[in-house]
Amino acid sequence: MNRGPLLFLGLFATMACSWLGFVLGPQLQLGGLTQTNTVVLGDALSQSYPVPEPGDARQGAEVYRANGCAFCHTEMVRPRSLGSDIVQSWGARRSLAEDYLFDQPVMLGSQRIGPDLANVGLRSDTNGILLRLYDPRRIIRGSLMPSYRFLFETRKIGFFPSPDALVLPPPDRPPPGCEVVPRPAARALAAYLMSLRQNGYLFEAPPPGQKTNAVPAVKTAAAK
Amino acid sequence: MSIVVSSARTGCSASPQARKEGTGDAHPVPLLCLFAGAVLWLFVALTLGLIDSLKFHNPEFLAGEPYLSYGRVHAAQNTALLYGFGVPVALGLGLWLLCRLGRAALAAPWVVLLGALFWNFALAAGVAAVLCGGRSGYEGFEFPAWCAPLLFVAYILIGVCAFVTFDRRREEKLYPSQWFVIGALFWFPWIFSTAGLLLLAAPARGVLQALIACWCAHNLSGVFLGFAGLASSFYFIPKILGRPLHSHYLAALAFWTIALFGSCGGVPNGAPVPAWIVSLSVVGTGLTIVPLLAVATNFYLTVRRDLEVLDADPTLRFTYVGLMFWLIAGAQQIAGALPGVSAITDFTWFGAARSGLFHNGFFGLTVFGALYYILPRLLGLGPAAWRPGLLKAHFFLAFLGVLITYVSLVSAGVGQGILLSDARNSFADVMRRTMLPLRVSTLGELMILVGTVLFLLNFARILILACRRCRAEAKERA
Repeated sequence: MNRGPLLFLGLFATMACSWLGFVLGPQLQLGGLTQTNTVVLGDALSQSYPVPEPGDARQGAEVYRANGCAFCHTEMVRPRSLGSDIVQSWGARRSLAEDYLFDQPVMLGSQRIGPDLANVGLRSDTNGILLRLYDPRRIIRGSLMPSYRFLFETRKIGFFPSPDALVLPPPDRPPPGCEVVPRPAARALAAYLMSLRQNGYLFEAPPPGQKTNAVPAVKTAAAK
Repeated sequence: MSIVVSSARTGCSASPQARKEGTGDAHPVPLLCLFAGAVLWLFVALTLGLIDSLKFHNPEFLAGEPYLSYGRVHAAQNTALLYGFGVPVALGLGLWLLCRLGRAALAAPWVVLLGALFWNFALAAGVAAVLCGGRSGYEGFEFPAWCAPLLFVAYILIGVCAFVTFDRRREEKLYPSQWFVIGALFWFPWIFSTAGLLLLAAPARGVLQALIACWCAHNLSGVFLGFAGLASSFYFIPKILGRPLHSHYLAALAFWTIALFGSCGGVPNGAPVPAWIVSLSVVGTGLTIVPLLAVATNFYLTVRRDLEVLDADPTLRFTYVGLMFWLIAGAQQIAGALPGVSAITDFTWFGAARSGLFHNGFFGLTVFGALYYILPRLLGLGPAAWRPGLLKAHFFLAFLGVLITYVSLVSAGVGQGILLSDARNSFADVMRRTMLPLRVSTLGELMILVGTVLFLLNFARILILACRRCRAEAKERA
């Protein structure tokens, strides 16, 4: 290996192998994914899945991205054979490529310092999420999550108390005449988290108890 | 650019001979700029890491400041470590090795200097933007979209000079370190442009983004930094022992297998992508056992008669300990890719432990070993210019710091994984029960930081010595 051009050629070939396998190949297979017509958990009618998230949730994804929430929370449920995600009831089925069709950016995360959030929208409500953001340790003792109070505003109550002021227990309660109101960023973040629900049944992940998937049947019914 | 034999023999330039023959005093400047900037970035990264680590002692620590909240600091820390410390130091090391092994003078040193300055300023802006919430959202590729092209231009400025230097080499026969440097120089623009185009400029659809980000981050550490670090090990260990490398064939085997297998990987088991991609990643990672064994055998057979002198020289000591950490990190990566193990260890502190061992243990120590050799020579001083007490303290702090962090995080990760596989344990409980090792790791991080500060002090000292000497020489001439 004393010739520069030969070295370059070899490097080019090896690099190309890896690139074909991890960039081009997947792009050819997954680049053309589209919505599916399928059944969604808890709903008898077939519908499109996944659906693009609503505007406020999209803004919330920006808050999630900017603050690096994905360093502590993953957004993917592994199959039952590969880890305890389903046992920990973070999802009823494994996550699939289709679930992230409209995410921008896709933030799968790589470590769980907090629980997985792939289906947090199915197990929480907006108010609970806001309370957790304001004071995580009030909800879960010993939680490692920092409080995100900079997403909230403590302000004087105007003519009427604000309808979305947080209802806080005594130690957190603001001084009399004041209220704690989520800023737009907090509301958007909550909307984003509520939009996280991987509840459509897909070909690779049929509903429990069903050996084959119902999706093709639904499709043909729609076609007829 | 004229080529001066005498200057090439003693490093890039900066030897007294080089000055006499008129290549100018400028040559060490670009390399010093790359190295000094890199070590300062390492200091920044370690400080940010310490802030993050302290948040595990008290989650409310600096939580009120959006700029210093965990996620932003963590992103800034990653960026500072990989792009502030890793890339420039790999480039500097590569340029120095290409000059020395090719017996060529550094091509267009002012362009390299320009590139280095441009890189550091662009990155500083990028890191500031990350702290202000401009994170791109892709791990290992955190800076905002406008920063990537700036960094790319800066890299190209330096990279082109490196290739010209390589092309002007006067030594026909290539030494393994040169392959590794060239490999690294070639790898970076490819992965960086792939990430820039498919993540930031024209984002790929859906989960492909996550896949591409994984692949780029894996290649940036495993191949780019791995190649750069190994280039240094392959040069300094035989050089300082005064023995030839045992086998160039084994080195070639390691080189090509790292390029081929080491570049495939980084996709976690159970990731939401078609199964063949995950299989490819697992198989690639599994096969990195080949370069691991090749490197281990090669170095063992090179040093086996000199085992007792390995600790005598600071460069040698840093380098071989770094190499050990590379082997451990590689073995852990293979173990962690096995489906049975990954079911327990994926997404826990296990991965963070490996990444710390690779970056601070392998790459950090290897680089410091090289810097202890290169810097005095660049400045025209002897190796005795270093203050030995600071040097020794740096080694022990860095070594023990890496070890403490690693052991504590691995135990936290494995504990977390095992506890989580029992459905009776709630997630919050598991996290509470694995707090102790996590908190111990802060101590390790503090030690690495203090070690780096000692290095900076030592570095500042030899810079002052060199300045004084320059001034004295100028007076003499006058």
